[in-house]
Amino acid sequence: MELSERKDNDVTVLEVVGRVDSVTSPDLGTRLTSILSTPPRKVLIDFGRLEYISSAGFRVLFLASKQAGESGGRLALCGLSAKALELFSIAGFLKLFTIAPSRAEGIAALR
Amino acid sequence: MNAVETSILNKIRDLSRMPELVAQFAEQHGLSEDVVFGMNVALDEMLSNIIKYGYADDAIHEIHVRLSVSGRMLVAEIEDDGQPFDPCAAGPVDVDAPLEERKVGGLGIHIVRNLMAEVGYARVADRNRLVMKMLLEPATKEGIHGTE
Repeated sequence: MELSERKDNDVTVLEVVGRVDSVTSPDLGTRLTSILSTPPRKVLIDFGRLEYISSAGFRVLFLASKQAGESGGRLALCGLSAKALELFSIAGFLKLFTIAPSRAEGIAALR
Repeated sequence: MNAVETSILNKIRDLSRMPELVAQFAEQHGLSEDVVFGMNVALDEMLSNIIKYGYADDAIHEIHVRLSVSGRMLVAEIEDDGQPFDPCAAGPVDVDAPLEERKVGGLGIHIVRNLMAEVGYARVADRNRLVMKMLLEPATKEGIHGTE
């Protein structure tokens, strides 16, 4: 998994490339915690180049969403493939997140 | 040969070898991206459960993984010498419950049950033997080639 960050005004866009699983999810969690601990605490996670995500990744996303909620931050996801969305649905995670089709729509949703 | 197999150690970082095994097998058999996605997720769920909760000691253990194709199914077999654990016996998971209230490992097993056509478990000679079978193509696509 590779992470790359870029700023779009007040929103941090975090692109996740590769696998989010038991091995890699701690690194994603650390990065999200770090971004969300500094105002303005707005993160869009771009999963456009996600290979797959397992429940270890869901837990990290859930904890980040909780941290955002408690600190006045916002978290949104974009770029999820049909297969990834199916997994979010199976896990009961669709309703827990703001999910946008594209990066632009995700950024708009955070403003 | 119709199967690939490997042994990994009971260390989470060793799981990073699994996607390569799946990719190698997928290339040999022309498996779809969706099947590769699903099998990678299922292997991560089950193997991480075994590594995190399967052993009563701190010793090094080997977990054996084998992938094969049988009929229209991708078959993954996992064998470990951990404590007896039947994931098929786990109760249903309430995916609407708050995450903190869910049982450890429960979400992963729930995901695997949804992705797989069949999950079977047996305790054989003091080893856990898990067999997961996944349809190679979604049922809805089967008619496309069949009617040509």
